[in-house]
Amino acid sequence: MSLPLAEEQVQKLPLEFADEKESVNITGFWMFLVTDVLVFGSLFSTYAVMRHSYAMGPTADQLFKMGPVMLETLLLLTSSFTIGLGVFAMRKGQTRALMFWLLLTMLLGAGFVTTEIHDFVSFAAIGATWHTSAFLSAFDILVGTHGAHVTFGIFWALTLLLQLRKRGITARTARKIYTFSLYWHFLDIVWIFIFTFVYLNGKIV
Amino acid sequence: MPSFLPYLYHTLFPPTVRYPDILLIDFGLIMAGIGLLGFMTKTRRWGWLWREWLTTVDHKKIAVMYLIAAIVMLFRGGIDAEMLRAQLALPTTKFMPAAQYDEVFTTHGTIMIFFMAMPFIFALFNAVVPLMIGARDVAFPRINAMSYWLFAFGAILFNISFVIGGSPNAGWTAYPPYTGLAFNPGPGENYYFLALIIAGMGTTMTGVNFLVTTVRMRAPGMTLMRMPMFVWSTMITSALILFAFPPLTVALAMSLFDRLFGSSFFTLTRGGMPMMYVNLFWLFGHPEVYILVIPLFGVFSEVVSTFSKKQLFGYPVMVVSMLAIMFLSYGTWVHHFFTMGAGPAVNAFFGLSTMLIAIPTGVKIFNWIFTMWGGRIQLTVAMLYQLAFIPTFVIGGASGVMLAVVPADYQFHNSYFLIAHFHNVIIGGTLFGLLSGLYYWWPKMFGMKLNERQGKVAFWLFFIGFWITFTPQYLLGLKGMTRRLYTYPIGMGWHELNVISTFGALIMGAAFVALVYNIVWSLLYGEKDLTGDPWNGRTLEWALPSPVPEYNFARIPVVHERDAWWAMKQRGQSLADLKPEDVRDVEMPRNTPIPFLLGASFFVVGFGMTFKFWPIAIMGFVGVILCILFSGFDYEDHHHLKADVIRSTEASLGRLQG
Amino acid sequence: MSQVEQPLTIDEAYNQDNDRALKFLRPRFHEEKFPTIQILGYIGSLILTFGAYFLVMDHVLPPVSLLAVILALAVMQGALQIGVFMHVREGRGLAWQIVPLYLVFLIAMGMVGMSIWIMLFKSGVS
Repeated sequence: MSLPLAEEQVQKLPLEFADEKESVNITGFWMFLVTDVLVFGSLFSTYAVMRHSYAMGPTADQLFKMGPVMLETLLLLTSSFTIGLGVFAMRKGQTRALMFWLLLTMLLGAGFVTTEIHDFVSFAAIGATWHTSAFLSAFDILVGTHGAHVTFGIFWALTLLLQLRKRGITARTARKIYTFSLYWHFLDIVWIFIFTFVYLNGKIV
Repeated sequence: MPSFLPYLYHTLFPPTVRYPDILLIDFGLIMAGIGLLGFMTKTRRWGWLWREWLTTVDHKKIAVMYLIAAIVMLFRGGIDAEMLRAQLALPTTKFMPAAQYDEVFTTHGTIMIFFMAMPFIFALFNAVVPLMIGARDVAFPRINAMSYWLFAFGAILFNISFVIGGSPNAGWTAYPPYTGLAFNPGPGENYYFLALIIAGMGTTMTGVNFLVTTVRMRAPGMTLMRMPMFVWSTMITSALILFAFPPLTVALAMSLFDRLFGSSFFTLTRGGMPMMYVNLFWLFGHPEVYILVIPLFGVFSEVVSTFSKKQLFGYPVMVVSMLAIMFLSYGTWVHHFFTMGAGPAVNAFFGLSTMLIAIPTGVKIFNWIFTMWGGRIQLTVAMLYQLAFIPTFVIGGASGVMLAVVPADYQFHNSYFLIAHFHNVIIGGTLFGLLSGLYYWWPKMFGMKLNERQGKVAFWLFFIGFWITFTPQYLLGLKGMTRRLYTYPIGMGWHELNVISTFGALIMGAAFVALVYNIVWSLLYGEKDLTGDPWNGRTLEWALPSPVPEYNFARIPVVHERDAWWAMKQRGQSLADLKPEDVRDVEMPRNTPIPFLLGASFFVVGFGMTFKFWPIAIMGFVGVILCILFSGFDYEDHHHLKADVIRSTEASLGRLQG
Repeated sequence: MSQVEQPLTIDEAYNQDNDRALKFLRPRFHEEKFPTIQILGYIGSLILTFGAYFLVMDHVLPPVSLLAVILALAVMQGALQIGVFMHVREGRGLAWQIVPLYLVFLIAMGMVGMSIWIMLFKSGVS
């Protein structure tokens, strides 16, 4: 139930919440994120259980190179910041600034994905594919699912840019940008846990 | 490419699908298909089908489509069950080949759970939840249609397996290494994984949809503690779906990757861990059994208070106990694999947490009994199912507590005792609940009552048939008969009980026939429901005419208490006193072909991947992307239903004043 | 004469329920001229991340406590992202998403932790 809001209360809300239907969409997107948390939770469980099943393949310590990983982390953290600024600009009604931040977010995301693919190709070059061991299977699917999410996010942002250019900031485009920003920050959080529990943890032991 | 056609023939039609019975069914299906196409063309129904059903986003029509699918799947799963019982009735029978037996028990379990019980539950959700909370539709009507079509095409993908390529044969749980490529090279398991992933996406979307609907779409004044109990159970079930389906999807995808792309999650070599699949599967699987039963707790609560003419006893306790069941159900999954040997600490923890669930469930049973206590009970068919449910579910639950005792479970595990237990709770809880809900809400969905006398015949056949089928199975389990057993030698002391059990299964088959006869007869000659409130109901859906107009409520009601419609009737109010000026334009979702096309595209992806026909899979994938793009750029997803249209509809129903 | 406390009517009790939910789920919106919070959040996230990195690379603690510390840092980072960037307290009427988020956090942690605990038996074998 939405509490009945007075007209002056609605006036104070940002566009995406002022429209009742769009605000329901935002609640829905949070619920989708809840399911996605558990998709990654399951993948983390698998990785946690299989992280020492090296079979004859390389160990985590041998495989992980922290240089590219730190670069990826920096890129993604910064992109999370830029989309945060994008939503800030959107709330101020600055369409061009919003489009700029959105574009910058996409580029940073693309940089992240490129670095990650490069990393994976270098693993494959030394024979560390998911055919090698259960550890590598669990690693590949966890990091790969995250990478696929980021890739999808980049294309999503592209369609949002087109819609923004055509329609400007309306209740609906504002809601779409807002849900995209939720998605993007969520991927950032997942990456922090991958960074901590997979990469750094691999370097501890 | 002369070798291509034989290759295609041997891939799509391997020897296992060339048994005479399957060829006969193929022939029957083709004839039925041609007949249907001819009938549709002759009566010019294609446009009607497309406009009114395939592209609809109306929750009431989606409910009907779910219901049809569920009953068809009940038939398919029931036929499987009868075949299994025929095979097991006598020792050393060869009613069907062993390989086919494996396929039949697998499809029986999978279809009954994923493609019968789940859509039946969603049929009830769609049919009444928006009406009960005073809403014009669910929160996301298009996503609702997408859920349906993903489910439907998942079900089609699963069901074509037995005529094209061969069915899955590793049990409904699909444990590795039975599903591993080394032991199971055919396409059957690919079908299983892909169909369940596709249908599972639809189910997850339904969960999101109904959680948001119950949280955000309630009429003014309907606080959480004023919601009808069925709405509570919908909310809790949706939350369970949200939390339970992701692990399943992940486990299925990883198994599929093992088979198609050579990863090593659950393989026996390269460090793979088959038991991790089991762990993930039951992380989903245990909440799933509560997804299957909590909605029916809601149905029973509605039915028992309506037909006892009393408010539900202990409403807050009912809510708290359902929430407790929801939490506890996440801490019990290891009881499905105690015999893995995780160690005494793990097994003791999960054994205890399992027994704990009996407490809130017992509380609910007592509340239903106290609701009936001192009430004026009407023995309608819906109420009979409720009355049958209580003892059946209690006995099933008690045998569940026996299974939760870890040392004893080492004896019961995978025996017919377990089979009897879970049929006892799933038939006694879920199926009886679904049928109770079907009889209760049928007038609201279709505008006529199901014939009560015929319904009672079907009920007694179900109830008696159920007990004759499953009581012997407890004893068979104690005598050492294991599940998924193809046949057994003479002299085990099992065959008398098996004969009785098969006899019971035939009675349940007769019950299904009686049910279908009842439905068809009532559709043709059933008593029309002109009042909209045939049972003297308590909740808001009965305030509307039957069947409900497209926009549900011409004017959104204001709720002041629980059992809102009952209280309105006590005060002499109704929703049929509209004044013309009360009616405004209503924004309604516009029909769209995208959900149907999205489902069809996923079907193509699934079919292509099953047989590793990559070009087909990629074509389907492109279709999926196009559907997503179209719906993303489509801003015209609503239309305005004019106040005049609503006024004339309401006037024709006699609900407009002046 | 002191006021005798009247028992609540059902309606009043419900309204109290609602008020309680409101206190817990009341939405909040930040409105500022300059994105100070976002910038502070960004700096904070960089500190947390690089802090964890240097803790591990310099092996300042024994392995088990090191893992515990960096996981704690990750959880803080997650909370920071949810609070600062995801505006978790925003909503229309009530911020309903807070309840499922708490739940899913518990369930996800339970899922990972319990899976490790349950599957430990395997470590003796392989």
